[in-house]
Amino acid sequence: MNDLVLDLKPPEARHYHSWRDRIHSVARFHQPDEVHALCEKAYDLGARAVLAVVDPTIREALTAFQQWRPVPVWAVVPNMQAFIRDLTDLGMVGAARARFMRLRLTDMLRVGLGAVAQVKGVLKKDFATGVNLVAGMELAGLRGLTVSRLFLHPQATEVALAGGVTGVFTNVLKQAERLGVDAGIVTNNPVRAAEVLGDDFRRFAVVVSPCNPKGYKMFPSREACERLFRSDPGRFLPSEITAGGAVSWAGGLAYVRALGLTGALVDPTQVEEAFHGRATARASAL
Amino acid sequence: MSEKLRAAVVGAGRMGMIHGHLLQVHPETELVGFVDRDQSLAAHLASQGLRAPLHPSIDALVAAGKPDAFFICTPTHTHLPVVRECLKHKAHLFVEKPLATTLEDSAAILAAATEAGVTHAGGYVYTHLPVVKAAHDLVQAGVLGELIRFTSHAYISEVFSQKQGWFFQREQAGGGVVANMGSHLFAILSWLFGPIRRVVGTTRSHFTASDDSAQVLLTFASGVTGMVDTSWSMPGTQMLDYGLTVDGKNGTLVLERERILLHLLAPAAGNEAGWSEIHASDVPADTAFDISPHIGGEAFYRQLSAFVTACRSGTQPFCSLVESLNVQRMIDGVYRSAASGDPVTFA
Repeated sequence: MNDLVLDLKPPEARHYHSWRDRIHSVARFHQPDEVHALCEKAYDLGARAVLAVVDPTIREALTAFQQWRPVPVWAVVPNMQAFIRDLTDLGMVGAARARFMRLRLTDMLRVGLGAVAQVKGVLKKDFATGVNLVAGMELAGLRGLTVSRLFLHPQATEVALAGGVTGVFTNVLKQAERLGVDAGIVTNNPVRAAEVLGDDFRRFAVVVSPCNPKGYKMFPSREACERLFRSDPGRFLPSEITAGGAVSWAGGLAYVRALGLTGALVDPTQVEEAFHGRATARASAL
Repeated sequence: MSEKLRAAVVGAGRMGMIHGHLLQVHPETELVGFVDRDQSLAAHLASQGLRAPLHPSIDALVAAGKPDAFFICTPTHTHLPVVRECLKHKAHLFVEKPLATTLEDSAAILAAATEAGVTHAGGYVYTHLPVVKAAHDLVQAGVLGELIRFTSHAYISEVFSQKQGWFFQREQAGGGVVANMGSHLFAILSWLFGPIRRVVGTTRSHFTASDDSAQVLLTFASGVTGMVDTSWSMPGTQMLDYGLTVDGKNGTLVLERERILLHLLAPAAGNEAGWSEIHASDVPADTAFDISPHIGGEAFYRQLSAFVTACRSGTQPFCSLVESLNVQRMIDGVYRSAASGDPVTFA
């Protein structure tokens, strides 16, 4: 059974309703203590894992959080939004090199030895090799954190699904096996993922996809996604259950439960609202 | 035209690959080939599952089979010669943004496409977001009454040091943040308010030799006047963060990333007086595949669908090169005004 899972990513990688909301959230969640506090609130609400795109702030917060709470990280690699910025400027090889140069010396040595075997693929700009290598660099930076599941970043996932590049997913399964953890998928195109991966789809312990009563971000259609979710409800963890804020948390939860899905991905805004609502209820009961 | 729209992509860079993927995934299109001088990209394309062959020239591609349409995704400074070459083959045209590096080249591209009698479209993808279309429809329906003014912004965290890629070189990209990021907002404004009449702009370079930020005052022929603030050196946003507030005599419309806030003084076109919210989830996505969940989202698929529909019906889509030329006038106006210190007026 899936529990609630906190969706944690660098605050500058989220969409906000307004610029004011953005600068407030970015300033706040660049403080490791604020991220740690958010994790505690999510834990209090029932979150028992953190789906995280890890940057230095999040890494520091999760390191502190995991000292107190047995909450594993579901690592999403690589941080594609940051990587794409480098890609536009430096090209694929240059971007990978820039990533490599930011590693600590010990991680450089580890990644560098592994990368030797992949040099040919990198020079040929092979997509699966490039993603695998950059993902490996980020994984090297996660040492010290308790990671229980490994995911490819959705930006790379959707491109791989569009092209039917199953090798990218095979690499994720291999990386996960090497680390002794499960592999998962985060995608807005779960139906396509099931088609492309065939039997291998079931080798992924969890698939995180939008699921809400408005069909928001459910591609190719709400009906097609619902059919897939119902066929194997234990495999799917619903995201976007409030349809970006258009549906109440309770309404979204009732909908996903009716489909047989358990658990849900909760974002920081939802955590804050739910926590505040609970605190208000406690105060009024006094 | 054959059953599916058979399309080729010229330029196998990042945008070329995105369009290539969509052309493979969309049920009404077929990707028939890529064109790029860099033939070493063939392995890279294949490794992404882009199965169409890579040709060294447009002639070579056409010799293998003439496409119904070309998607031009080469660096901006090459758009005009590439368009001319494509139009020799009487194929429909999709041209990535911005249309060209100069207003003259942009006008020449539109003139050539018009003379060829083909369907044409520009790559301002944000106009295809469902929530942007909903805002357009509200404005067109006259819910705000007579339009008065707007304020807007487009920010991204992209440039904090000197950059190397062509995208950041003014001569090849046609400018800096104004041409490459602010233009997305210009395209939305163009769709909402029509032809541009007058531009006053100021630009600044913080990190590069190009414009890294700009403040612009725009006046449209419709009489609407408003401000644009744009920067690609703004900390805090890895994706383009844009916002637009439009005031009319009957109220205010606030366009945000995933919703519209509407305040009306009196009911209009089925919308009640007072505050209401139209969320992105309230408008149809009409999308079968999301190629880029964080950047553009379903807009890329909708952009292709709009182009295919126009090609099939022999019409021009709302996002035709006429709109792209209007955007280019705004870009050109900003740069000329910033250089001279004077307003730039278009007839």
